[in-house]
Amino acid sequence: MSSFWIMLIGSLVASSCGILGCFLILRRMAMLGDAISHAILPGIVFAFLISGSRESFPMLVGATLVGLLSTIIIQWMKQNGVQADAALSVTFTALFALGVILISLYTRQIDLDLDCVLYGEIAYVQWDTWQLGDLNMGPRALWMVGGVFLLNLLIILLFFKQFKLTTFDPALAAAVGIPVAFFHYLLMGMVSLTTVASFESVGAILVVAMLIAPAATAYLWTDRFHLMLSLSILFGILSAIGGYLLAVPLDASIAGCMAMMAGILFLFSFLFAPRHGLVSKWWYQRKWYSKPQ
Amino acid sequence: MLKRYMWLLTLCIWLICLGCSSDSSIQNNQLQVTTTTGMIADIVRQVGGRHVEVTELMGPGVDPHLYKASSGDISKLEKADLIFYNGLHLEGKMTDILQQIGKKKPVIAVAEQIDKNKLIETGHHQYDPHIWFDIQLWKEAVQQVEQGLINVDPQHQDEYQKQAQQYLNQLQELDDYAKKQIELIPKDRRILITAHDAFGYFGRAYGIEVVGLQGLSTASEYGLKDVQRLVDFIVQKKIKAVFIESSVPKKSIEAVVNGAKAKNWQVQIGGELYSDALGGPESEADTYLKMFRSNVDTIVSSLK
Repeated sequence: MSSFWIMLIGSLVASSCGILGCFLILRRMAMLGDAISHAILPGIVFAFLISGSRESFPMLVGATLVGLLSTIIIQWMKQNGVQADAALSVTFTALFALGVILISLYTRQIDLDLDCVLYGEIAYVQWDTWQLGDLNMGPRALWMVGGVFLLNLLIILLFFKQFKLTTFDPALAAAVGIPVAFFHYLLMGMVSLTTVASFESVGAILVVAMLIAPAATAYLWTDRFHLMLSLSILFGILSAIGGYLLAVPLDASIAGCMAMMAGILFLFSFLFAPRHGLVSKWWYQRKWYSKPQ
Repeated sequence: MLKRYMWLLTLCIWLICLGCSSDSSIQNNQLQVTTTTGMIADIVRQVGGRHVEVTELMGPGVDPHLYKASSGDISKLEKADLIFYNGLHLEGKMTDILQQIGKKKPVIAVAEQIDKNKLIETGHHQYDPHIWFDIQLWKEAVQQVEQGLINVDPQHQDEYQKQAQQYLNQLQELDDYAKKQIELIPKDRRILITAHDAFGYFGRAYGIEVVGLQGLSTASEYGLKDVQRLVDFIVQKKIKAVFIESSVPKKSIEAVVNGAKAKNWQVQIGGELYSDALGGPESEADTYLKMFRSNVDTIVSSLK
């Protein structure tokens, strides 16, 4: 049963991240996931200082709040003229540094880092079950990432037009009366919620990879936005399942293999995608130039 | 358009089926025991003897703080009849998982039952988990293992008790040996400097002052001031050697050695101590007893 849960939960994380990744790549903010994975460090320190325990729940609350805060800061800076990549890097390094300082001031004798108090491990999802009374509701991670996935899907489907327009042409969106800033903040909030929930369920590397690779791969295959969204989900699921099947014979880290599979799919597409792939580009060019003028 | 991607969908489904096909496991009548650290695995081997088959999740040289699960670890936990782990948050977030598994089969934290007054408190209700460096505490862990094995497999109770007693005697001998050896170091030189603060219990048990560069966690950063302060301390106390641990990068402690050199004091790197893991099969520290003895010998020979 464990293999089924791992592939299912991996696929759900990949799908959530794939959808959001499409928007992030088009907005040139692909590294947001990585940024959040660092920025939440002060969140867990505050949570520990306030609650005095290293239980998962306070850690998750602290991480979520600081995750949201960091995306708000990033978006706010961006809207006030700071370059997207600069806003991102400044925010996450500053927050991460704040976390390091807090640890060295208050909790240096205690083993408190993201890896050991917040990040989950996808290999063990099947054992961390959610018990409702006497009823076994299946893995807790399934509810977390499944819930987040459905929420993302719902919001994107409801406001697809608005999201699309604010992503491609914010000026036009503003001109037709769409609250552009609201949708920017909404998207950032979704990313922050998705990443933190997924970090807690399956660990950081998988989330950071899935937020970028499947969407980037899909972008190589199509120029149509709704197709890019569906393809990024598909590539995400393929990476999750393929990565798991790779991890079993290798006896290696499952999240690592899934992330690597996403990289392999990207590389393959980078070379062989029909229009944007290197090989096909070269092929078309050759055909073009060898045509008798 | 759907047709074009149909083959991908088929591939997905086929891959899922492939992944779900269950692997057959070999059953024999030995008790299957899985532990987190190698030190605990060693106890189980000694106490369980021929009746148990032991696997550990964290092999030689693996720092528990940096342990990453591999896909094979799932089946190690799945097929186990009995699981032992350290506790006191040594296993980090994996503790949640182990407690969850504990609802289905016996899972025992060998360090959690120890009287909290005997532990080193590092924060409010947070305790130093490295209890294997105090042999008296480690003996309690041995008793936990003995009791755990007997509860699951009462048939071989006599044998477990006998083997546990033998092992406890060996531990006591080791403790006596360590005390005698440490006595050889002049009192004012009983200062142990390491990169990773895992030796708190060791220092307390044998009257050695332990000075660490980092905090308790391998992952936390160390401050500039830490290095500076340590260098001053070494020069002032004329300390002869500092120690590298098998599971911590050498870089941080080498920075200290170079710092002392700049102040005209030659401090040696005193050899490798084992902290969070046993050594590999080819090393001289592949069991707890050998590991501990190797640490004592390394410390005594460089500080004496």
